[in-house]
Amino acid sequence: MAPLKSWLQVDPKSHFSLHNIPFGIISTLDTPEPHPAVAIGEYALDLHVFSQQNGFSALSIIQPHQKVFSEPTLNAFAALGRPIHRVVREYLQSLFLDNGPFPDVLEKNEQLRKATLLPLKNCKMHLPMFISDYTDFYAGLNHAYNVGVLFRGPQNALQPNYKHLPVGYHGRASSVVVSGTSIRRPNGQILSNPAAEKKEPVFSECKKLDIELELGCFVCKPSKMGEPIRIEDAPKHLFGVVLLNDWSARDIQAWEYVPLGPFNAKNFGTTISAWVVLIDALEPFATVGIANDTELLPYLDEKDRKSNYAIDLSVSLTTSSSKTTNIGDLLGSGTISGESKTEKGCLLEQTDNGKIEITLEGGEKRTFLEDGDTVTLTGVCGSENGALVGFGDCVGRIEPAVQLNL
Amino acid sequence: MPSLKSWFPIPKNSHFSLANLPFGIISTASKATPRPAVAIGDHCLDLQEFSASGAFSSLGFDVSVFSKPTLNDFASLGRPVHGSVRKFLQDVFAENSSNAQVLQNNKSLQEKCLIPRDGVTMHLPMQIRDYTDFYAGKNHAFNVGCLFRGPDNALQPNYTHLPVGYHGRASSVVVSGTPITRPNGQILENPAATPKVPTFSPCKRLDIELELGAFLCKGNKMGTNIPISEAADHIFGFVLLNDWSARDIQAWEYVPLGPFLGKNFGSTISPWIVLADALEPFRSTGIPNDTQLLPYLQEKEKNVYDIKLQVDITPDGGETTTILNSNGRNLLFSFAQMLAHHSIGGCPMAVGDLLGSGTISGTEPGSEGSMLEISKGGKETVKLNGGVERKFLQDGDTITMYGVCGTEETGLVGFGECTGKILPAPKL
Repeated sequence: MAPLKSWLQVDPKSHFSLHNIPFGIISTLDTPEPHPAVAIGEYALDLHVFSQQNGFSALSIIQPHQKVFSEPTLNAFAALGRPIHRVVREYLQSLFLDNGPFPDVLEKNEQLRKATLLPLKNCKMHLPMFISDYTDFYAGLNHAYNVGVLFRGPQNALQPNYKHLPVGYHGRASSVVVSGTSIRRPNGQILSNPAAEKKEPVFSECKKLDIELELGCFVCKPSKMGEPIRIEDAPKHLFGVVLLNDWSARDIQAWEYVPLGPFNAKNFGTTISAWVVLIDALEPFATVGIANDTELLPYLDEKDRKSNYAIDLSVSLTTSSSKTTNIGDLLGSGTISGESKTEKGCLLEQTDNGKIEITLEGGEKRTFLEDGDTVTLTGVCGSENGALVGFGDCVGRIEPAVQLNL
Repeated sequence: MPSLKSWFPIPKNSHFSLANLPFGIISTASKATPRPAVAIGDHCLDLQEFSASGAFSSLGFDVSVFSKPTLNDFASLGRPVHGSVRKFLQDVFAENSSNAQVLQNNKSLQEKCLIPRDGVTMHLPMQIRDYTDFYAGKNHAFNVGCLFRGPDNALQPNYTHLPVGYHGRASSVVVSGTPITRPNGQILENPAATPKVPTFSPCKRLDIELELGAFLCKGNKMGTNIPISEAADHIFGFVLLNDWSARDIQAWEYVPLGPFLGKNFGSTISPWIVLADALEPFRSTGIPNDTQLLPYLQEKEKNVYDIKLQVDITPDGGETTTILNSNGRNLLFSFAQMLAHHSIGGCPMAVGDLLGSGTISGTEPGSEGSMLEISKGGKETVKLNGGVERKFLQDGDTITMYGVCGTEETGLVGFGECTGKILPAPKL
């Protein structure tokens, strides 16, 4: 695919190339109320100001709906549906094209450029959508297998249901935060000695704080209670993708999770990247996922549709003394832990449940996260400079647990 | 407690006596906008109309909360305001009131505000930000555990140490009266067979779960916790909750991450929120816990309530049978303990959050809060009136839950109905 060229200076290595155009919610000193924007190179195009100043005048389909660009979340824009997302994204893309079809709108309009093209470093990011419900799935087979081996051995690593249905659980919507939000180490009940016969919990800060490298997908079209979404219609309901760090308290989880699943181990915080990459931007990178040797029931049968994405995912850890180490370079085809030793999407797997230490830049060692550690997830599709489609950072710094004298 | 007599006709056996005054969201044929109301006897008081008259002006709170389509803004005003509003209304309706000019002697305001309840549509009383379901009904947990693991391993090692809970699906909580569609999903036709190969089928083991729900009126910042001593400030009031369950779908899916589709096809709540203040006289001890709790869960007060609970089943066009009687005391943990535990790691709670108690079963036959228990795991049929039999729910069955505290002398405090009718699964 030949990279699209822009009149705007966009670094060839930018994850926000002209092939991307992700949507987010920004605020600035000038417009402190959160409002929609798209990212391009090192800039945000402020969609609120852009629409107020008639930037969409050449796009008739959006005319009746422009108030969506003045909302504090992307929900109203998403609700307009995929055909409109596609048209808006392509229109915005076209405004940045070298020799594009609408040079008068932005390229030759200094006043509008000044008003709407804002350096990303001057923008504060907010949660891109109001999340009414959050569900976490478990579809990373290699991760599920690795974790299962740790706790049950290879023969019983995966449960009998694992390949028949995408195992999931409801998460805590209120605990999803935007990249950059600090994450406080949770306190809770942990077993003083997990191997002991008599299980005695103690009250403690979490001592096995972990990450989970995931992708998140936002829904743009609801369904009525009692009416399922057919798999062939599912793409109409999906808006776009973000990176997701499902921070996990492994010791709290181990004690609480039987029989009703993870709870306080997860609900202290979950971080998502700020820029939603639309499904349309990911289409060129669609691929097959992990092969499922189980025959799926018809309602789960996608037939020939490729709906995983080839996204290179990385995890880096920066200590409080500012040394950064890449702790995972992973290749994803929708999988979040790969098969090899270096492709593990959480510390539980990487350290064999705390048995093996990893050595960081500067010599520090880690099993699980320490206070002051900053974890950054990044993801990018493609390898052609000038055509990269990435997600921006999904980052969080660990703050010490609250001292509760209990 | 003195009986509160009213100048307004309130039937003696009404669950909405002057000792109650629960809050809900109504709409009417003449005014379709959902707005707050209080239930009183066979009527309700339209709070939007009532507050528009200036009746609340002496209380000094922002009455625009009563023009909102949910009770979230009213709840946010905090327990002291809820308390003063409820006390004021009790006084307005009391005979020999010093506030007789507000309503008793104001026929035109009565006509505007007092609406017969049978003409009113009820709506979800709060915008539910997040819904968590707990498992604090120890007898239920024991009964179910016995069915699957025998009595020695019925309860997990963690059960008495912490209130076990899981996040539920907020979007699937509906108000009483909403039909519930039988879910389709993956089930094991023969759970004992190996290898386990699921089929796609309508749920064949559709069940109920009798629970109480608590709504929050105050949250906490992410990264902070709600100490148990402050939990009461965060709890607005209570409803009945039917945590409809698809037992076969649940059995296949739930290991290791918990119940999911087995629950998220629908959960029903009663429409009138009984304020915490109204349940004060009915505080009680719950099931004793012989495990020494960690300090963050230790409470001094009796935070469980003596509520008589009842569940009726009515097959389509058939007779009604009461299938169980239980009591709100049958909980190992209180809502205060559930809230302290839920927030202990810094989870942000919010106004409008709903907490479910878990299935409330007693120890005696006839007090089990689910058909799974009543039918001994689907082995025994339950005989209903009219010669009908059941193990689990059939299409067309209506389940109605009731709850009430107190006596007619002191004024009954009840929850209204928590009801739902089962519709057939869609044919896919």
